[in-house]
Amino acid sequence: MNASVPQEPGAAILDLWHPVAIREDLRAGETTRTRLLDRDVAVGLDDDGSPTAWLLTGAQHDAAATPRLLPTIAAYEFAWTSLGTPPEEIFKIPECDEPDRRNLATFSVGVHVSAPRAVENFLDLGHFPYVHAGILGQAPRTEVADYRVEVDPETNELWARDCEFFQPQAAAASTDGQMSQYTYRVPHPYCVMLYKSCPTDESRFDVIALFCQALSADRVLFHTFMSVIDEVSSDAQIRAFQTLVSAQDKPILENQTPRLLPLEVGDETSVRSDRASVAYRRWLGDLGVDYGVIPRGAHR
Amino acid sequence: MTAPDPASLLHPVAAGADLMPRHVVRSRLLGRRLAIWKADDGFVNVWEDRCIHRGMRLSAGVNDGAELVCQYHGWRYSNRNGNCVYIPAHPGEAPAGGLRVATFACAEKYGLVWSGGSPDAEPPSIPALEGGEVLVLRSLPVNAPAALVLEGLAGYSFRPTAALGTDTPITTSADAGNPHSVTVTATTTGAESSVVFFIQPAEAGRCVIRPVLSAAPAPEERLATLRHHARALEELRAQLEDSSPAEAAVALPLATLEPLRSGGTAGAAGGRHPQLQVRVARKWVCAEGIAAFDLAPVAGELPSFQPGAHLDVHLPNGLVRQYSLTNGPDLTGVYRIGVKLVPEGGGGSRCMHQSVHEGDALDISTPRNNFTLRRDAARTLLIAGGIGITPLLAMAQTLARQGLTWELHYFAQSDDHVAFDEMLAPLAEGVTTYCGLSPQETGAELTRITRHYGPMQHAYLCGPGPMIDTARSIAAEAGWPTEAVHFEYFKNESARDDSSAFDVTLARRDQTLRIGAGMSLLNGLRNAGIDLPSSCEQGACGTCIATVLGGEPDHQDVYLNDSERAAANRMLTCVSRAKSGQLVLDL
Amino acid sequence: MLRLYDYLLSANCYKPRLLLSMLDVPHDLVPVEFYPGREHESAAFRKINPLGHIPVIEDDGFILRDAHAILVYLAGEYDPARTWYPTADPRLLGGVASWLQFAEGTADTASAARLCVNFGYEFDLEACVAGAHRLFRVLDEHLWFREQEGLDWVAPAAAPTVADIALFPDVALSEEGGISREDYPSLRRWTERVQRLPGFIDMPGVLPVAPLPYPPT
Repeated sequence: MNASVPQEPGAAILDLWHPVAIREDLRAGETTRTRLLDRDVAVGLDDDGSPTAWLLTGAQHDAAATPRLLPTIAAYEFAWTSLGTPPEEIFKIPECDEPDRRNLATFSVGVHVSAPRAVENFLDLGHFPYVHAGILGQAPRTEVADYRVEVDPETNELWARDCEFFQPQAAAASTDGQMSQYTYRVPHPYCVMLYKSCPTDESRFDVIALFCQALSADRVLFHTFMSVIDEVSSDAQIRAFQTLVSAQDKPILENQTPRLLPLEVGDETSVRSDRASVAYRRWLGDLGVDYGVIPRGAHR
Repeated sequence: MTAPDPASLLHPVAAGADLMPRHVVRSRLLGRRLAIWKADDGFVNVWEDRCIHRGMRLSAGVNDGAELVCQYHGWRYSNRNGNCVYIPAHPGEAPAGGLRVATFACAEKYGLVWSGGSPDAEPPSIPALEGGEVLVLRSLPVNAPAALVLEGLAGYSFRPTAALGTDTPITTSADAGNPHSVTVTATTTGAESSVVFFIQPAEAGRCVIRPVLSAAPAPEERLATLRHHARALEELRAQLEDSSPAEAAVALPLATLEPLRSGGTAGAAGGRHPQLQVRVARKWVCAEGIAAFDLAPVAGELPSFQPGAHLDVHLPNGLVRQYSLTNGPDLTGVYRIGVKLVPEGGGGSRCMHQSVHEGDALDISTPRNNFTLRRDAARTLLIAGGIGITPLLAMAQTLARQGLTWELHYFAQSDDHVAFDEMLAPLAEGVTTYCGLSPQETGAELTRITRHYGPMQHAYLCGPGPMIDTARSIAAEAGWPTEAVHFEYFKNESARDDSSAFDVTLARRDQTLRIGAGMSLLNGLRNAGIDLPSSCEQGACGTCIATVLGGEPDHQDVYLNDSERAAANRMLTCVSRAKSGQLVLDL
Repeated sequence: MLRLYDYLLSANCYKPRLLLSMLDVPHDLVPVEFYPGREHESAAFRKINPLGHIPVIEDDGFILRDAHAILVYLAGEYDPARTWYPTADPRLLGGVASWLQFAEGTADTASAARLCVNFGYEFDLEACVAGAHRLFRVLDEHLWFREQEGLDWVAPAAAPTVADIALFPDVALSEEGGISREDYPSLRRWTERVQRLPGFIDMPGVLPVAPLPYPPT
């Protein structure tokens, strides 16, 4: 029988680490309130300067009540917490440990869409010439060449490899634009990153990541993070690029209906260039993700 | 009297004047979001406001006059039937046959656009609005349920135009003629006027009042009349919204509005090539020895097609002939073909020229495309010889409408042999005609035309065999790679290999079918009457999956992962085939 | 060269950017990172605008803050035809000023709602949304009657004025703040007309529209 769409997240989501604040925004003695999975969460710093988070429930808005402390870690310029039992460590981005890297939280924006829709958009090459015209793509150069998708059997992470797309302003010297190579990695149902050849060193990769903070099933804070080898640009210049790209995605994401991502094959029409998206939907289903999605067999 | 199901009626969804050129109206009816747009040919499309690909609202899309373009990935949907005609991520492939957006019924009456779920329903007929010019007043959205709004409208009071600015006493009477409108008539000495309020039930707790005035006032009184009613309605809305109980909105059940044709890939039949019956709407001589035909549908709308497509025509003498469509995206409602008389041929063209007349019925196939036009080229060269102009004319019109860079070179025997003048004329800037050239002169021109090759350029050739051969070798010498030179009956460049032939046994039916080279397993099954659902027909979406009980599949899809492939117990029937000579499927 | 202290995602900065482009005035954009850097509140920026907000222009030593004031200045200085800020017709000019005032209201409601949703500003979102809908109802009716009079723009003139520029960003970006324009068909047509003006430039959040097949008359 058809089940309805669940309103409460199950273990597949509860037990994950979720970003709740930019680490740099936290100040000693100050508390930031935010939302996570439809709950009120407070984030602050403890005496060692490590982030700490606790759940605000009805009773705990009362100063006398003991707040329920949540597990908290700092990683990749963000404070992360969990409402369930999280793994000991968050997924690794080994590149971030290289000494000549600049790691920075680049841009965060609230978007009225589910986290999986936002991740799927990040995994998508076909929208570049339409949504990011003149930057990441340019009509009529719209073809998406075939690429590979695989689930790493050891880590159970989803990868899309050998992705290639024509980009009009990939290099300052080129007038015709050039083909850019991408690798995508989905290490977490609500997080995705891409590896792109570093312009100053072809053998190394810049990392651009999207960490979604699911405020509720259909609202996210769209946090972006970059780990780059760049000795020239200012932080503000690096952030400006990501600001532009994220802000261009926002109106598209907010015009998608339904806001939850349908996992049933056939609810939306997919073509060959959507194989990363199709694989992501299946992967979410296999992980038992039930929040931010319309599960297989559920009616809307 | 039982009230009819609201979903079986037509309701107003927009004012006719809202449908500006190249605009898309956003509306809602019974909870369904609608995108409404008028094409340059005047046809009004009422579609579900949702791209079938990733759910993007089509009301945010671009109306290019003949196609609606989604902002997210540029998918193009055709005027009239809502078929997806172009997917930019795959420029070299025609979209699968069944891909289309959900479409709703549409009618225009009393200056309003009407829609609903039933193909046979008609807009209501209101006596007060018959037999004269009417004036559409400003519509007003109200945050209150339809029933409450209708009740409130019965108490509407206004002055007839002739009595504006006077204080003569007015009597008003309301008549709820049908469950979805109210007519209010105001009478004063020597003047009477009626307003009919139609209600658009947008969603629970929200509707749009769409008023129409029975008699259009004189031009100089028009604005004052419009303002008078706008003010009165505004007051009424304030009252309604104040008194509207929030819980009434939730309690009101809304009918489920179903589209006339659902979106996505409705039904397996989309994958077949059903026969259509058409009528010869027009036949004319469009050049020396060339007859042109406009084929109109006997019923319904014609399926859409891509430039370069052709169709089979079943002739009265039993022959079947293929003809390319010349239509650009602007010519809707007919298929236009051109037929060259070949007196010493097999009798097909003679039959078309001599025995087929205006008004005759013909059986045709739905359009097929082996000559797909890419719309991602930096420059497109179209080279036509003689009757080979027909598919290239369709291509030129498509490229011109999209503002892409193209040129059409048309070689004809003489001025009198230049066909389809009236379609070439608007394209004039891009068209060069060459008349009466010798083979040597033609070769010299072809050398000149193809001398500059650059990346992302494509050439399309159609004409007599020797000319195509010459053009291909000249282009190759000039540096055009083979994948950039397309000619009719050119094989799709897809990496899929459909050259194998194998037997498939259907375990549940104890039946064995032969799947020949060039035919997909999916279409082989369909030809045997087995309807499998399908969608992308590219091996990507997983819709046409079947369980394999025996034999070794030759997986050519991108849907299954490596372990699923290794397990060899499921396969996608649209692209995958057999490595073994025989497959057994659980069908 | 004229300098505009600008943030890409600011509706208020978009107003002078738009008019500079439509008037074809050469200029430099000086990025001020409003979010997340809060550079507009920095000591360095307060030397340019003690109030600590953007946009600000600097034109040959002349410094001017506030979006609508900048629009008035730019039109006065760089529009020789005097249509964008029509000083020759007092009634028309009064109307333009009145709609500029109205645009303060849309900035305080529609654009404030956008700041809540996008960047977590702690305004009363519900009140902002309700306030924006009240103003949009007024503006939609106004523009519908303009269309009935055969006019395209907010003020009763044949050409657009600074009032159209002042209102456009708050309206065109409203859905980012959760304010749907489904109920405002005249507003949707008017934003398309603005987008078809020569020199129009978009910003993230404004989706492209189809060009007309013939020049608008």
